Amino acid sequence: MKISRLALPLALAALAAPATSLLAQKEVVVWHAYRAEEKAALEKIATAYNAANAAKGVKVTTLAVPYDAFADKITAAVPRGKGPDIFIYAQDRLGGWIEAGSTVEPIDFFLDKATTDRYIPTTMEAMTYRGTVYGLPLNYKVITLIYNKKLVPTPPKTSKELVAMAKKLTDAKSGRFGLAYSYSDYYYHAALQNAFGGRAFDPGPKPVLNAPENIKALSLLMRWFTVDGILPAEPSTALITSLFNGGKAAMVFSGPWFLGEIAQGVDYGLALLPTIDEAGGKPMRPWMTVEGVYVAAPSKNKDAAYDFAKYLTDTPQAKIMAVEGRQTPANKSVYSDPAVGSDAILSAFRKQVEVAVPMPNLPEMTMVWSPATTAMNTIVKKSAPPKAAMDQAQKSVERDVAALRKK
Amino acid sequence: MSVRPDDPAKSPSHRLRFGAGLLLGTLLVAGVGHRLLTDSLAGTARFGEDRRAIVALRALTDLVARAGSGDAVRTVVAEFGKAYPAVVSTRAVLFDGLSLEASTDPADSGENAAPRRLKREEKDLYDRGQRLRAAVETNRQEGGARKDEVERERRPDGSLSLAAPVEKDGEVVGLVEVRRLPPPEAPRPALVTTLSYVVAPVVLFALLALVIGEKKVPLGIVAALLLAGTAWGYGAQSWAKLARARTTLESDVATAVKDGGEKAHSLLGTVGLPVEPALAPASWDSDSFRRPLGLSDGAGNVDAGKVGVELASARASLRRAFLLLGALALGLLAFVGLGGAAALARTLRTHRVAYAYVLPAMVGMLVLVFFPFLYGIVISFTDSTIYNTNAPLSEIFVGVKNYVAILSDFKIAQHAADGGLVFNYQNFYWTLWITVIWTITNVTFGVTVGLILALILNTKGLALKPAYRVLLILPWAMPNYITALIWRGMFHQQFGVVNQVIQMFGGAPVSWFETPFTSFLTALATNGWLSFPFMMVISLGALQSIPADLYEAARVDGASRWQQFASITLPSLKPALVPAIILSVVWTFNMFNIVYLVTAGEPAGSTEILVTQAYKFAFEKYRYGYAAAYSTVIFGILLVYGTFQNRMTKATEGV
Amino acid sequence: MGLLTNRSRAGADEPPHFPMHVLLVVATLFSIYPILWVFTIAFSGKQSLAIADVPPDPTFWDRLRAVLPWPAEVSFSNFTSVLTDQPFARWVLNSAIVSIATTVVGVFLACTAAYAFSRFRFPGRQAGMMSFLVSQMFPGTLMLIPLYIILVKWLNLGSTHLGLVLVYSTISIPFCVWMLKGYFDTIPRELEEAALIDGASPAVIFFRIVLPLAKPAVAVTALFAFMTGWNEFILAATLMDKETMYTAPLGLRFFVGGFSQQWGFFAAGAIIVSIPVVALFLFLQKYLVSGLTAGSVKG
Repeated sequence: MKISRLALPLALAALAAPATSLLAQKEVVVWHAYRAEEKAALEKIATAYNAANAAKGVKVTTLAVPYDAFADKITAAVPRGKGPDIFIYAQDRLGGWIEAGSTVEPIDFFLDKATTDRYIPTTMEAMTYRGTVYGLPLNYKVITLIYNKKLVPTPPKTSKELVAMAKKLTDAKSGRFGLAYSYSDYYYHAALQNAFGGRAFDPGPKPVLNAPENIKALSLLMRWFTVDGILPAEPSTALITSLFNGGKAAMVFSGPWFLGEIAQGVDYGLALLPTIDEAGGKPMRPWMTVEGVYVAAPSKNKDAAYDFAKYLTDTPQAKIMAVEGRQTPANKSVYSDPAVGSDAILSAFRKQVEVAVPMPNLPEMTMVWSPATTAMNTIVKKSAPPKAAMDQAQKSVERDVAALRKK
Repeated sequence: MSVRPDDPAKSPSHRLRFGAGLLLGTLLVAGVGHRLLTDSLAGTARFGEDRRAIVALRALTDLVARAGSGDAVRTVVAEFGKAYPAVVSTRAVLFDGLSLEASTDPADSGENAAPRRLKREEKDLYDRGQRLRAAVETNRQEGGARKDEVERERRPDGSLSLAAPVEKDGEVVGLVEVRRLPPPEAPRPALVTTLSYVVAPVVLFALLALVIGEKKVPLGIVAALLLAGTAWGYGAQSWAKLARARTTLESDVATAVKDGGEKAHSLLGTVGLPVEPALAPASWDSDSFRRPLGLSDGAGNVDAGKVGVELASARASLRRAFLLLGALALGLLAFVGLGGAAALARTLRTHRVAYAYVLPAMVGMLVLVFFPFLYGIVISFTDSTIYNTNAPLSEIFVGVKNYVAILSDFKIAQHAADGGLVFNYQNFYWTLWITVIWTITNVTFGVTVGLILALILNTKGLALKPAYRVLLILPWAMPNYITALIWRGMFHQQFGVVNQVIQMFGGAPVSWFETPFTSFLTALATNGWLSFPFMMVISLGALQSIPADLYEAARVDGASRWQQFASITLPSLKPALVPAIILSVVWTFNMFNIVYLVTAGEPAGSTEILVTQAYKFAFEKYRYGYAAAYSTVIFGILLVYGTFQNRMTKATEGV
Repeated sequence: MGLLTNRSRAGADEPPHFPMHVLLVVATLFSIYPILWVFTIAFSGKQSLAIADVPPDPTFWDRLRAVLPWPAEVSFSNFTSVLTDQPFARWVLNSAIVSIATTVVGVFLACTAAYAFSRFRFPGRQAGMMSFLVSQMFPGTLMLIPLYIILVKWLNLGSTHLGLVLVYSTISIPFCVWMLKGYFDTIPRELEEAALIDGASPAVIFFRIVLPLAKPAVAVTALFAFMTGWNEFILAATLMDKETMYTAPLGLRFFVGGFSQQWGFFAAGAIIVSIPVVALFLFLQKYLVSGLTAGSVKG
């Protein structure tokens, strides 16, 4: 009796399994981490595609997976042949999946020049790992200057203007700040670092967290924080949102995701990140993340999958993504469409992405975050000077990279 | 445990038992040994086949690289096919223009003949080339040998498909792919020989047993000796076969290298390609990273010294395998021969009801918990990383290296320039120390608060009890992902309520996440808040098991409330509370979420606990083997704790 | 029944209630304060986590106002969005199905095992008890992929509630076994022995005599097993490949993934998700009330 209790469910499961596999004729399954209007836009595109391709017997179905579980789910499912045909994810995990194998299909072979040319070139760069292209860029995300129009009538163009303006708007005691952003988060800080020509990796890929340019950028940040005093302490993303919504932060460096968190009634504008006078007038160059459309390596319908990926990233679909999904497409011709071009938000991000740098898609990048965050926190807590802290981080990353590459 | 001394009432036959044990033991040795030998012989044959194939392929890629493109390549490929009868077909691809430059594949004739653009179905071929290009570049950049520069793929029919890059001026411009005939079947050891290793000792034992009679000790000694002899004998004959196969292989390969050099040289003349610089056939005999093995000189002579070293290491590993096998077989013999098996069967029969009750829960645990767990332990002995997830375990086996690396690092602190102590927060022992403090403080807090509240809530006639109870379990009911972040927010330096309250009473605001101690307190407050309701509910349940008349009797005897608590309440709570405490120690020790969400290890990783470190090794540093070893160490620590605690409290003992 | 009688009987011997109330009120404030912030965020109609917001040179009262959780304006928009944007009700239902099944399977299997551990003496008993404890010791961080292989590749239970129920049950069983075994140990054996003499089978004794007496412990383990299934997120996300099969915690996580953190929606969802737990506790708490079971039976 005890045994039958366990055997029954197992038997039921065995019965249920073949039934589902029979249904799949030529189904292209897409996994993504979109929500709300961006999800609706993607589903609308899939429906349109299905209507147009019904004769070919191809059917696209989509599945939304919460972002926090997405990467683990891909890592568990795809190499075991149980995953989707297509998945959409930022490029930061791309290198890791390629190195692990059986996850992402290279698509160089499919690509023609017309397709390659329709994307913003840097977004294509983000899809390329060790000389091979692995995905089509769908949307990019990049941080820019978001300001409260009531407090800042005209946004600053240079770092000097920024500091002067922010100083006037700062009253630290009452919790008002001219500028607020997650500056101790290495991702946000990278915009400043890149303005100085700094970087996390030299080609190789060789970590160079303590490059002299990186140190210069950190010194400037520390001047903003301590001497100019225009930044709040312990700047978590949740705090930044609260400050901006409460009218206590006049300017914020953040990305498109931030717009959904802004409370109703706050009149905000977007502008290019300022140029940095201390770096010879070079612009702040934020890291861009690019959501790529990848064909899963074990997919049985790779042709159909690539066809949909191409369709999804084409101009008319990019327009739906932009206008209805409120995304910033990697497709560049969509911005000449009046509906997109006249949109203040979308065109602001489009301008910002011109100077953005693709975030490294190397697997080694995940080893950078933790030491870099530690270093950033040490620096802003004034426990160590920038150089010492970054040397420490560099040592730690070098050690981890070496441990991985031994042989 | 389950082995019991024999029941004297029934006298078992020692001869039968040792005979059966010997039979099983020799079956194990011969069976596994046979398999081992078969696999090794096949492996040796494959090794030779692969090397000969690589030699030929490297010769071809050198020629194709010299030919460049066009007709020269096609002539080289065609002539090559003629020179090597084992080659079924050859394809050469140049990346520029996705061109199939030459092919001897029968399918590529007529309108499909090379040169032409690659077709859609040939994407795999192109991807293979790109993979090789990336591999060559990666190895060069990293100065290592991490990715295969010669790809081998064995098809289901045993035939080999190989691909190697074609380089021009140090850049990979294409690939050559060769498909070969299925190799001849590898020699298999004769089953009869193997069986004789079972039959002979068993028959011998039977005869000797007749002579010895029912004497336990002599019988046991004889059986053990016979078994050891079997293992030794089988091992020795296996090695003889293997060594012969390997020696033959080396001279075969050396000849193949020499022949290959000569063929290639004559081909250069036929096609009219430059003869200088001279080809280097000796370097063709290489591993998959194109590093020469150096086992022969290119003129057909084997380097006996180097081969000898290889043979010695092969022999050592075979010896280890047979020693292990022999030990296992002896264990089996002892188990059966000394009556363990019989006792086990008896036990299972006697207590079948109890086992039936436990079985369903146990099966679930075995399948869904212990199996993944075993997997983790196995991985911990390897060097598994994201770069070698598909490598067979035997290739990445590193023994206890990960454990040594974790446990032997005692650099917990060092003297800074100014003379003060600087702790190394990444050190295992620092993290262990934090974890232990974390566990003790949390469990103490949870149990004390939970128990006190439960005792109060158990007071008879207290008003509003249901309302208190519900409000007090809310921290448990609410998803902790958000409450943990609210707690983190409450400790913000400027905008957190904790500092506001401190300032309300004239204190100075604290920068909570700046020092390890205060940062630790934030996580402790959060987790304490999360965990006391659970302990309260457990205690409430446990309190119900105390018979009211015990208190009654105590009161009659004039015991004070404290005496009642100490002599009735606490002892009665023990059966339910002790397991809960042990388990919450285990859970708190491995409490990932709270530390991860609240302090995130700040400052500088000082408030990490062991499990968050293990997570970082696995998912940030991609060192799966090391992370598994870390997890296993955590497991070991908890196991020691659990055993110790169990012995102290006799929690498994019961009434 | 015990409440009044006991009071009158014990009378002056009972400790004074007032200090107890003080303690309970303090503890309750401690326990609900962060929860009140969750409510504040949920009803604020905004997406930001609340911060203590004080004017320049704040007085004591300014600060007090700042630390009291109360939204500046009350809005239900977060709740309506959570419930209408997605099939949230369906996901709550899925969670309920999975968690209730987990509770039933987990508690039942744990009861039989715990009963055997408590009442029978058999070789391997201690090892068996230990192995349940040991199963909790291995950190779960590396278990996801092997578990995926077993459940999805071998048992073919991907995208089924059954798969989740099996995993959650096995996760909750060790605690349940230990808890119940400890409790069974406190139940006097005389009753069972009497029934045995009357010719009752072990199953009858178990269901008719032991289980009713162990109600408080069963209630506690049931709550625990339910919570195991109710709040789990990563396994559900990994194993379920259909949106209609998603569970509530999985749905909640859509609001706060990656860069975008919509805490208002999350807070509203968290409150909705907590309601069934509180309801279950309300239902179960009658078994945790004084003056029942073991003691009274013995007399």
